[in-house]
Amino acid sequence: MIRREFLNVASTALGTVGLAPRMLEREAAAAAEVDAAKSGLADVALAAAKRLGASYADIRINRYRSESITTREQQVQNVARNQDFGFGVRVLVKGTWGFAASSIVTADEIRRVTQAAVDIARANSAFQRKRVTLAPAARVEANWKSAFEKDPFDVPLDIKIQFLLTLNGAAMKTAGVSFVNSSMVWVNEQRFLATSDGSRIEQYIIRGLPQFNVTAVSRQTGDFQTRRSLGGPQARGYEYIEKYPWRAEAQQAAEEAVAKLKAKSVEPGRYDLVIHPTNLWLTIHESAGHATELDRALWWEADYAGTSFLTPDKAGKLRFGSPLVNIVADRVQPTALATVAYDDDGVPAQRWYLVKDGVFVDWQTTRDLAPLIGRKKSYGCLNADSWRNVAFPRMPNVSLEPGAQDTSLDELVAGVEKGILIYGDGSWSIDQQRYNFQFGGQTFWEISKGKVAGMMRDVAYQSRSTDFWGACDGLGGRSTYQLNGSFVDGKGEPGQVGVVSHGCPVARFRQINVLNTSVSMT
Amino acid sequence: MVLTETASRAVTDRLLGSVTADDGVAFVESEDYSHLRFAANTFLTSGRREGVNARVTVWIGKRRGSASTTDLSDAALKQAVEDAQTFAKLAPVDVEYLPSLAQQTYKPGQGWVDATSRIDLPDRAHQISDAIAQSEKGGIIGAGFHQVGLLARASATMHGNFNYERGSLVSLKMTARTPDGSGSGYFGRNHFDVARLDTARVAREAIRRASDSRGARMLPAGTYPVVLEAQAVADLLDSGGMSFDARNADEGRSAFSLPGGATRVGTRLFDPRINIVSDPWRPELSKFTVSDEGVPAETTYLVRNGMVETLRYSRYWAQQKNKKPSGPFAFILESSTPGSSVDAMIKTAKRALLVARFFYIRTVDPRSASVTGLTRDGVWYIENGEIKYPVRNFRFNQSIVLMLAPGNVDLIGVPERVASSEGGRDPLFVPALRLNAFNFTSQSDAV
Repeated sequence: MIRREFLNVASTALGTVGLAPRMLEREAAAAAEVDAAKSGLADVALAAAKRLGASYADIRINRYRSESITTREQQVQNVARNQDFGFGVRVLVKGTWGFAASSIVTADEIRRVTQAAVDIARANSAFQRKRVTLAPAARVEANWKSAFEKDPFDVPLDIKIQFLLTLNGAAMKTAGVSFVNSSMVWVNEQRFLATSDGSRIEQYIIRGLPQFNVTAVSRQTGDFQTRRSLGGPQARGYEYIEKYPWRAEAQQAAEEAVAKLKAKSVEPGRYDLVIHPTNLWLTIHESAGHATELDRALWWEADYAGTSFLTPDKAGKLRFGSPLVNIVADRVQPTALATVAYDDDGVPAQRWYLVKDGVFVDWQTTRDLAPLIGRKKSYGCLNADSWRNVAFPRMPNVSLEPGAQDTSLDELVAGVEKGILIYGDGSWSIDQQRYNFQFGGQTFWEISKGKVAGMMRDVAYQSRSTDFWGACDGLGGRSTYQLNGSFVDGKGEPGQVGVVSHGCPVARFRQINVLNTSVSMT
Repeated sequence: MVLTETASRAVTDRLLGSVTADDGVAFVESEDYSHLRFAANTFLTSGRREGVNARVTVWIGKRRGSASTTDLSDAALKQAVEDAQTFAKLAPVDVEYLPSLAQQTYKPGQGWVDATSRIDLPDRAHQISDAIAQSEKGGIIGAGFHQVGLLARASATMHGNFNYERGSLVSLKMTARTPDGSGSGYFGRNHFDVARLDTARVAREAIRRASDSRGARMLPAGTYPVVLEAQAVADLLDSGGMSFDARNADEGRSAFSLPGGATRVGTRLFDPRINIVSDPWRPELSKFTVSDEGVPAETTYLVRNGMVETLRYSRYWAQQKNKKPSGPFAFILESSTPGSSVDAMIKTAKRALLVARFFYIRTVDPRSASVTGLTRDGVWYIENGEIKYPVRNFRFNQSIVLMLAPGNVDLIGVPERVASSEGGRDPLFVPALRLNAFNFTSQSDAV
């Protein structure tokens, strides 16, 4: 469930502003000092947990660095840099989980917090109905870095600010543009995991989210329209800023925001849709990604995000979509947001099919979920968004494979008599069992007799997951494939935000219900 | 345990004592949080976290820098100040800089209760076990979430301001489902006083609703009169559709903007009985009384008798527009006439749908504060004053402004403290509503 309050979350991050080189060195030295001690500190936790009666324990000692720069027009609104360091200890006592966390990373505090985690587990175990069992995991010692070329935390602040202000300037040059907001967020996760199974795993991950939003206001009519950036977050370094055509897209977005003010409002009805990857990723996320989470199928998420129409008896039987539809779970894809080497259970990252030739075939699992459906191993989907939160099942990258032929967007459009071409994600909503969804977009283009005819507005498409995927009759080829994703996928109680990518080609869907979302205030 | 006022002031004093910049603000927050999550009638995860964060923001020639640390030693705090001052020298001029606040007068809130901070683990486990036992007894599968949050925060400025406040919160929410998946019910409540959280009632209501929602019938989508329980109203009003932000309205990009550059302040946008008030001292609400900018709360009517009276201003925008800046928002929607009970709304309804809760609400048209979303965990058909049968869920597309407009609001209930089921812990104080028309646009198979 993608959170709606991301901007608020970002702006309230504990903030610091741009680091001088000397300070970066100091940060690095402090980190190195603690890194050297991590293994010894982990031993303290694991020994204490064992002494206190835990049958399993793990400790995550994690450092999170983040930087966000937000601007509007030619103003810098905020520059924030945060370091967040701490540890969390998870124990299993009498088949019951306990967890405790602290930001004070010392041996004494680790002993105290481990005791607290055991106390919680023990108190709850007296009333526990079903004991937790874990699928086995191999002992691992590993050190891994994600795929990035240029560490964004090494790039000077003034270069980043200048980039955003130049982007804003490019958009503001278009007549009719009223406002531009832009930002970039960088995250560095330095994860350390030690388990009582003997694993010791270090991972270093870089992710980035550059984005902008152009607003055109018509003061005469009281109308306003926006066009948000199409380039989504990726697990890439600053090279993402340098290689993606952000400035050209900002100029295009400006023209499209102004054009939307005068675009034709859509007539509700059934249309063939040609959906660009910048929009389709979110539909994959909501209708396939969350629907194939085993914890949802087992009603573990019933109180918050919901359950799933894919009940445990349906794997290998239920037709999810047309035979063209192959959906893969993937935690090894380079530059994808949920890619890691090992999950928070210490299980290796993997790639496997969730939907094969249109049939739902498999789940997303963790060590405590897999045994519940008779599996001997986990697919490695355990993750926590912070040292302070307990790890729980989270979505891997979930992607739609491109078609076998390298079909182009134009070729898919050519097969449409009356339809709409959709770019960019807009409004999004889906029910708690993942049947009924409604998605908007950023730009909508009328398709008439096989050609793009002109801009439309006020479009949302609404369907039922299996009806929608069953209506897929055309996939673009590898050359149309793109990764998009979310920095703020919400799930769980207490709520955590996940990061996840969804790759897909452009795709065509027949006779989908389209709504007009415009509401007159008069 | 969270920091006391004395301990918090010692931290802000030490931070500001090291500042050599032109201006500065120091903050310190401390948290003690624990949870117990259950599902499928068994415990899932349970944990506790404790943390503190000290932060300083400084300005040198209107250039701003900030730094934070979780280490409260003298050396760490001094280093944070030095870092912030280094950042300020690197940063561009903050064109929205305003001098930090001089001494303000704060009227304290009442959102802290010692007993809430002393909930012990075995007691909690026992209470949740009882809720699960109620589910088992009723042949129901229960899932839910109990949390206790303690938060203390303080800030101080170089111009002499200081404030400190702390809050406690305990909550239980629960979703009950029939084993065959044909019925689902939800109920959740939170309070700052543990004595005021009736955990047995939460379980009882969720289970009752699950049982009562079995065998739901499919009705066609369309426009229906509705009775929205307070939970459903909170879900809608917390969805972000109506933020009352003055800057967005002045800039022409909100539902409160008018053609020609004006705003809807002074217009009767809502039913004449409706008041929307921010009042953190309302006894059942008792929220924080200091904004993130240090602005003291005031009891403020945003909407009085249906008329938009004012909007909400940041310090910067207030200075630009010669208005008073706004304190924290404590959302209250109430009627200027005596409220009706939900039972009375049902008994006097000729035909309506009773809605318990909404889910996954997102804006589709900000010009009219229009949102989409779905009903969840209970919809019932009412005819001639009686609940006739449960109904399958719907998707809706609805303008919140038009929903509350003159002519559409039929009856207004008595406000109660309720948090959005999707949005989290922050409570609103809102009533049930009976509305003449609500737009359900498609059916959902979800239960």
